Amino acid sequence: MTSKRPRARATLRNSLVGLAFASPFVIGFTVFIAYPIIASLKYSFTNFNLFQTPVNVGLGNYATMLHDSRLITSVENTLLFAGIGVPLNIGLALAGAHLLNLPLRGQPLYRAMVYLPTIVPVVVGAYLWRWLLNPQYGFVDHLLRAAHLPDPNWLLEPGWARTAVIILSVWTVGGTMIVYLAGLREVPMDLYEAASLDGAGVLAKFRHITWPSLTPITLFQTIVLTIAYLQIFAQPYLLAQSRLNEATAGPGDSMLSYSMYLFQSAFVNLKMGYASAMAWVLFVFTMLLTFALLGSARKWVHYANN
Amino acid sequence: MWLTRFRREGSGRTRAALAALSTAALVLSTAACSGGTGGETADGKTVVTFSYLWAGPEAKALEKVIKQFNGSQDKIQVKGVSNPDMQKQLASMSTANGTFDISDGFGNQVGSWASKGVLEPLDQYLTSDHVDTSDFVPAAMDQMTYQGKTYAAPIAVHSFQLLYNKKLLADAGVQPPKTMTQFAAAIHKLTKVDDNGNITQLGLGNPDLPSSITTLGYAFGGTWNDPSTGKPTADKPGNVEALDFYDKNIVQAYGADHVNRFVGGFGPYMSAQDPFQTGKVAMEIDGEWRCASIASTAPKLKWGVTQIPVADPAMAGTTQLTTSTLFIPANSQHKEEAAKFLAYMVSKDGMLPFTRALGNLPSRTSMLDDPIYNDLHNFQPFLDSLKSNKVHALSSAPSGSEYATDLASAIDSVNRGKATAQQALSQLATKTASYDQ
Repeated sequence: MTSKRPRARATLRNSLVGLAFASPFVIGFTVFIAYPIIASLKYSFTNFNLFQTPVNVGLGNYATMLHDSRLITSVENTLLFAGIGVPLNIGLALAGAHLLNLPLRGQPLYRAMVYLPTIVPVVVGAYLWRWLLNPQYGFVDHLLRAAHLPDPNWLLEPGWARTAVIILSVWTVGGTMIVYLAGLREVPMDLYEAASLDGAGVLAKFRHITWPSLTPITLFQTIVLTIAYLQIFAQPYLLAQSRLNEATAGPGDSMLSYSMYLFQSAFVNLKMGYASAMAWVLFVFTMLLTFALLGSARKWVHYANN
Repeated sequence: MWLTRFRREGSGRTRAALAALSTAALVLSTAACSGGTGGETADGKTVVTFSYLWAGPEAKALEKVIKQFNGSQDKIQVKGVSNPDMQKQLASMSTANGTFDISDGFGNQVGSWASKGVLEPLDQYLTSDHVDTSDFVPAAMDQMTYQGKTYAAPIAVHSFQLLYNKKLLADAGVQPPKTMTQFAAAIHKLTKVDDNGNITQLGLGNPDLPSSITTLGYAFGGTWNDPSTGKPTADKPGNVEALDFYDKNIVQAYGADHVNRFVGGFGPYMSAQDPFQTGKVAMEIDGEWRCASIASTAPKLKWGVTQIPVADPAMAGTTQLTTSTLFIPANSQHKEEAAKFLAYMVSKDGMLPFTRALGNLPSRTSMLDDPIYNDLHNFQPFLDSLKSNKVHALSSAPSGSEYATDLASAIDSVNRGKATAQQALSQLATKTASYDQ
C-alpha cells in the first residue's frame, strides 16, 4: 500500500504536467475550433445577424434552403465542378506521373515545372488566368484563333465561365501528380519483369500491376479532391470578382459555388443562422460522401500487405 | 533530459507546470488584448481609434486631416488605423468592446446596420457639436437616417453624370445628348462594327452596369425604392423603360454575344487600358472620381461631362448620388470624443482638404462653390449636379445588399439576352416581396 501511493501520485503529477504542456493546444482547440463548431450548430436553428440576440426558428433555415433558387444554382455549380474536376484531376495526374517517370534527360526540371503552379498563390494564379482568358488580348484565345478553333468569350458566357473555373483548379494538378509519381516509383520492378516474362503488354501491365498498386493513393486523392471541390471558393470568387466588394458570381451566377454563397449569406447579407445551416449541410454531405468512398474502397482498393 | 530533471526536483516540477500554464495564459491574454479600444495618452488625452477602409494615397490624405485635428485638441487624440478589411470591421462591431470608436462605410449600409443595433444614433451629438444638418445635400442625409434617427454622416458624396470622349463625338458629328431620343441616336452613331459584326467601338460603355441602369431609371422617372418605406420597387415603369432602353439600343441592336465579347476584352477599370480612356467606349455613365483618375492615368484624353439625358425635359438635372459615411459603432467606449472628431471631419476644415485630395464631392451645399476644387478638370458639372432638386439615392433599407445582388442578376440576364426588361424586373419584384424587412 505504502509503496503504491507515491507511484499513483507520481502518475497523476506526470499527467498533470503533460496536460499543462498540452494546454495551449487544448485551450486553443476548445476556444477557437470546438466551440465555434458547436455554436454554429446552435445558430443554424436561429435567425442570427451577427449583432443581435439570435431568434429561434427551429428548422426554418433548413426549410428555406429547399426553395432558395440561388442556393440550388450554387449546389448545381458545385456538383458540376466536383463531378468534372475530380476525375479530370485524377486522370491528368495519373497520365502526367507516367510521363514524369520516363527515363529522360532533364526530368527533374520537368517535374519542377509541373509542380510550379502549385506553389503560386491562388490569387496570383487567378489574376494571371483572367488575363490569359481575355477574349481580345488573351493568349488562350490568340492560340485558339491561330489554330482556327472557336475562341470563346471565357468569363462572360456561363458555360465557358464554369470551364474557366475548372481550368484554374486543374492548373495545380502538379501536386497530385507528384504524389502519383512517388507511388509509381514504389511499385516493385520485379512484378513488371514477371509480367513481361508472362507476355503481358503495356496495357495489361497497367491494368494488373500499376493501377492496383496505385489504388490506395487514388482513394486518398479522390477523397481529398472531392472535399476540396465541394468547398471550392477562391477560384470562382477571384474569377468572378468585379469592382469593389460586390457580391458577383459571374454571368447568370455561373460561378456561384456553395462556399461562395455561404460567404455571401454570412458576410454580405448578414444571415449567420442561414449560413450556419448551409455549413452543416455541407459538412454532413461531405462526411457521408467520404464514408461512401471509404466504404467502396473494399471493392477496388488493394493494399500491398493484403 | 531537462524534463527528467524537473521530475526529480520538486521545485522544478512546479516550475514546469507553471511554465506551461503561463504559455496558455499568454495565448489567451494576447487574444483578449485584441479587443477594447483607446485608453489615455501619457499627457491625459483620451485616445479615439479611427479605423478606416481607405489605404494608400487616400489614407495619407486622411492622416493629414487627423494630424490637423490632433493639433487643435488638448483632450482628444485620434489614432488612425488603415484597415480595408470589411469583415474585420463587422467582426469588431459584433463584440462587447470593439476595436475602434469611429469608422467609415457606404450610405447603402446605414439602414441595414442601424436596424441591427450596431450604429450609435448621432442626433444628440450633431446638435451638441453644432453640426448644421440642413447644410448637407438632402438625398445624402436621407440615406443616413433610419426610422427617424441619424446613424451616420456623409464625409463625401458621389454623383453620376454622362462622360464623353470629345474627339469621338466630334468625328461622328454628335452633340452631347440631352434627351433619350438624342441619346439613342448618339449611341448608334458612336458604335462601330466591322464586316464580321464584331464591335470595334461602343457608343455607351458601362464601367458598372447596375449603377448605370439605376441612374437611367431615375432619368426615365422611375424609382428603385418606396420613398416612405424604403421597400424595393423594382418593376416601376421608369425602371423597366431604362433597362429596355439599354436592351434595345445596345444588347438587341448589336447582339448580346458581340457586346459581351467586346466588353470582355476591356482592360481594368481606371487603369491605362481603361476602355473609356483608350477610346473603345465613347460615352459612359460614371462618377466624379474619374476627374482625378483620368488626370493621372490619361492626362491627354479630351473628354467632357454633361448631365444624364432625360425622358422629359422637366427632369433635366436628374442624377443618382451615393455616399461615403462616417459612423460611430454602438460598442465604442469613447462616443462623445469620437463625435467631436466626426463633427470636425464634416466641417470645412476636415471635409474640404479630404474630398479635394480624393477627388470626391463634398456633401455640404455650402462647399459646392469652394475654389479648392477649381483645378480639378471637369469637376464643376459634378459639383453643380448636387444643387439640383432631382438628386436621387437608393434607400439604405435593411435588405439593401440582397436587393443589390438580385438587381445585378436581373440586369445581367437582360445583358446576356436571356430576358426582356419587363420579364427580368417583374421576376425581381416577386423576389423582393419575400425579403425580411
